[in-house]
Amino acid sequence: MAGTVAKTCLSPLALLTRRLSAPEFITQCCYHKKVVDHYENPRNVGTLDKNSKNVGTGLVGAPACGDVMKLQIEVDDHGKIVDARFKTFGCGSAIASSSLATEWVKGKSVDEALTIKNTDIAKELCLPPVKLHCSMLAEDAIKAALADYRRKQQDDQQEAVRASV
Amino acid sequence: MLSYNSLRIVCPFRALLHPNWLMTNRQSVNKTVTCSAHCVSPSFPKKNTWQRQNNLKPTGNERKLQYLTYAASSPRNYCTGQFKLNCWNCKQPLDQTPAFFCLTCKAVQPPEEDTSLFIIMDCDYKFSLDTHKLQKRYLHLQRSLHPDNFSQKSVEEQEYSESYSALVNKAYHTLLKPLSRGLYMLELKGMVIEEGTDSGADPEFLMELMEINEALDEVKTPEEANKIGQHTKGKLAVLTEEIDAALLKGELPSAKALLAQMKYFANIEEKVKEKLSEFM
Repeated sequence: MAGTVAKTCLSPLALLTRRLSAPEFITQCCYHKKVVDHYENPRNVGTLDKNSKNVGTGLVGAPACGDVMKLQIEVDDHGKIVDARFKTFGCGSAIASSSLATEWVKGKSVDEALTIKNTDIAKELCLPPVKLHCSMLAEDAIKAALADYRRKQQDDQQEAVRASV
Repeated sequence: MLSYNSLRIVCPFRALLHPNWLMTNRQSVNKTVTCSAHCVSPSFPKKNTWQRQNNLKPTGNERKLQYLTYAASSPRNYCTGQFKLNCWNCKQPLDQTPAFFCLTCKAVQPPEEDTSLFIIMDCDYKFSLDTHKLQKRYLHLQRSLHPDNFSQKSVEEQEYSESYSALVNKAYHTLLKPLSRGLYMLELKGMVIEEGTDSGADPEFLMELMEINEALDEVKTPEEANKIGQHTKGKLAVLTEEIDAALLKGELPSAKALLAQMKYFANIEEKVKEKLSEFM
């Protein structure tokens, strides 16, 4: 499954590395190695049960490039993210950004995860300027997942209040 | 190719000879730097003269000469839209728009900037374009404009035929596919689909896209892939009609949203093709 998700990006990545052969990119840190690593060995590809009250699902799309990204988090009773999964259909940078995002949110609290910025993701993966929007997509996916989790928690609490009355 | 050379020198003499140059908005001209007069011949040098003129450095201690882009093409490139364009070769007025060839001397002309691709391909400015007519026009133009026809001609004509041929290629490929055509029509109206997340996207629509993508990922036979391909084609056909209606009514925001949806399905269609080629 991971391999097939990864394969979707092969041709755009070839384009990316061709762009990178221009002299101005040589001085950048080995970004394409990191991106390649994430799409050849993506971390946390998969699905969590979206109906579970402990799972927040973030589903985002980028219309300019047609990328779609789903990021899910599982939060324990102490508000700590214990698991995260993603599925991304798009270019290598988008896949790498979401893969990295799931790695970073694990072990963080819900509030800490909100502080993850697209610039951190882009810096870590050494994304070129033209691919910065992929890291933005990943940040938005994290926020959407957290918002979905929060909404579920609030709904739960309201139900509990209603039940006790 | 001198048009893309990085040598340009504009001197006060030339400014007097060609006042048009001062009026142009072209970026390349804005980058010019005046050089000291003695290092440039007062007569208007032809393009080839510039190429051969290696010794452009000023004498003595003046090292201020900057080498910047020299666009040695004809004065017509510096004309604004209000001016009538003349052939670079025989100076006769070109009475057509777009002018591919001079009617008098038959020399190929450089493409005018910012000409609509619809005008170049002689197609009505509408989304429901006749692609057969487009293709015929494309072949007709390339028969006369292709650089292979100019291998024995002057350097200028070779360059102009290259530029025009490339532009005709771009026009054809942009107008051929509904998605690129629609996006170009929006662009002409000053609207683009921004990069980044679409915060207004319908979650159900995104879910549907996810499911289609996931199903495509898991297909085991070409038939399954084809089934998804057919479904996607159907969606694209419906979207094409809706976009046509929206553009005819001038409802640009709707057209933009529909084109965004089309982009997602166009990507899926590409993936179906890749999947089917994997099965071969």
